[in-house]
Amino acid sequence: MRKANFIVSGVFTAFALLIIALSLTFPPSNHGVPGPGIFPFIIAALIIISAVALLITTLIAGPKLDSKIDLRSKNIINVYITMAGLVVYTVLLPMVGFITTTTVMLYLYIRWFSKRSWWKCAVISLLFTLAIYFLFGLVLNVPMRFGLVL
Amino acid sequence: MLLEVLTNVFTVQIFFFIILGVFTGICIGALPGLTATMGVALVLPLTFGMEATPGILLLIGVYVGAIYGGSISAILLRTPGTPAAAATVLDGYEFSKRGESGRALGISTVSSFLGGLVSVTALWLISPQLAKLALRFSAPEFFLLAVFGLSIIASISGNSLAKGVLCGALGISISFIGIDSITGYARFTFHNINLLSGMSFIPVMIGLFAMSQAFSTIENIFTPDEVSQKVSKVWPTKADWKIILKTAPLSGVIGTIIGIVPGAGAEIGAFVSYSQAKRISRHPELFGTGITEGIAAPEGGNNGVTGGALIPMLTMGVPGDAVAAILIGALTVQGLQPGPLLFTEHTTLVYSIFLGMFIANLTMLVLGLSSLKLFVKVLSVPKSILTPMIFILCVVGSYAINTSFFDVGVMLFFGILGYFLQKADFSVSPAVLGLILGPMAEANFRRALLMSEGSYSIFFNSPIAWVFLILTIFTLAMPYVTAFLKKRRMQNA
Repeated sequence: MRKANFIVSGVFTAFALLIIALSLTFPPSNHGVPGPGIFPFIIAALIIISAVALLITTLIAGPKLDSKIDLRSKNIINVYITMAGLVVYTVLLPMVGFITTTTVMLYLYIRWFSKRSWWKCAVISLLFTLAIYFLFGLVLNVPMRFGLVL
Repeated sequence: MLLEVLTNVFTVQIFFFIILGVFTGICIGALPGLTATMGVALVLPLTFGMEATPGILLLIGVYVGAIYGGSISAILLRTPGTPAAAATVLDGYEFSKRGESGRALGISTVSSFLGGLVSVTALWLISPQLAKLALRFSAPEFFLLAVFGLSIIASISGNSLAKGVLCGALGISISFIGIDSITGYARFTFHNINLLSGMSFIPVMIGLFAMSQAFSTIENIFTPDEVSQKVSKVWPTKADWKIILKTAPLSGVIGTIIGIVPGAGAEIGAFVSYSQAKRISRHPELFGTGITEGIAAPEGGNNGVTGGALIPMLTMGVPGDAVAAILIGALTVQGLQPGPLLFTEHTTLVYSIFLGMFIANLTMLVLGLSSLKLFVKVLSVPKSILTPMIFILCVVGSYAINTSFFDVGVMLFFGILGYFLQKADFSVSPAVLGLILGPMAEANFRRALLMSEGSYSIFFNSPIAWVFLILTIFTLAMPYVTAFLKKRRMQNA
């Protein structure tokens, strides 16, 4: 947690400095009325103060009270693989189409997670995809027809 | 007006959506890993095409049902379905060990109903008065109210004030993106056309609450699901009724008060009610061994929060908890702005929500007592199938709001960010509340200075402003004062 707190403080400070740098380019205040950059500047300053406070409290607490964050175990690697799969799905979705991409994605995840027979996974994936397609596409009138296939 | 409200609510369509909402909510709440916030976020996209009253009541039904539903797995599996049911585990599971799970579930159902009933009554009585008071607020008061809301959220959520502030500030920073409402200047858009209209906060919410939670479930996806025992005799005994009627309404009052405080959710309501019941009990040593009060208090308390959380949301536009923040999103999609004007311009809708919430609680009681066996069966739905389905609901829900794939990307980004923030011991609620309160704070801050021609004394001119200022200072100092007092007490001991 100690290491994570240091990283978080650094990332948030960098984020705040970026906000400050960009807000300085915004139009200035007019007759005492704050311009569009003032509030982002105040919030960025608040982020820096909080990040420094987090850094100091972590340093004061010392390594004795430290707890470890699990970021590399097999269970966590499974989360990363799932995230990567979803990124690929999100990219392919508008190009290929909802029914094809979603059925395939669901099939792969359910087969991986549940170890059920291939045909059961395929039936569950297809039925759920079609249910969502008809609920959103036909009942709620959300345009679900996109992509090269469907 | 009464007739208008009655004809608005007493329709087949409204009853259908309330029952559907409560049923869905109980199922979501009963499944460990699916929270009430996640449930409301997942159902929200279904309301986009609906009218305001059925849409909001569907979501309220999910909220009420999910908070109650959490107790089912808490009692049967020793795993709270939602964080709000964590206190119910203490005594609830002891009943199951004795083979009295049906009785425990009956106590939980009736207590949840009574707690909810108290909170709806409070909502009905307090909200109009508070809205009248809020009508007197102008820009400086609204700015200070937003600052107070942000300060309290940062101080009570999570284990660290600094992390709470960082997360809240992150939410406010996201709200800066887009065209500035006062000058029309495009801020932080990086010449991206999708960012010109600002970051749509519904995909952000779905990402932070639903997607990140689903990622957390993946960590234990290969752990076998627990199997629950059979349930029978759910009707509480005569002795139970006596205790329930004494404990649950009081817990409902405690829960309602906690619900009104911005940022304090149902889990805090449940634990405070539990410890209060233990403190005033004649036999506190029996708590944790499976006694009626041990279920009635937390269940009355957590359902008490549901109505309380809606009070600041409807009257001032300040969300009482994360679910109320999503409800603000739902109202905004319908073109409605939560706040005092809602009570004057959309009176029928407001009172329909009150009446609908009462019906939702009644539905919860009826479904809870009559269909518990069905809800227990829901526990056998494997998470290995459910979790990928949640991914799809998150994706389709984010896409549906603006039919934009950019929003899907936003949802996924915030889902991943939310997962890592939770890993680093951050509570994600302040980010969403910051996203809602940030624009309110900024717009009123600048409007106030426009009114005063740049003089900051406008923030100290009215008694209401002073009340909010003092409350903000008190809230920010509170964690340090409590820590100091705790340290001194330990030294003295």
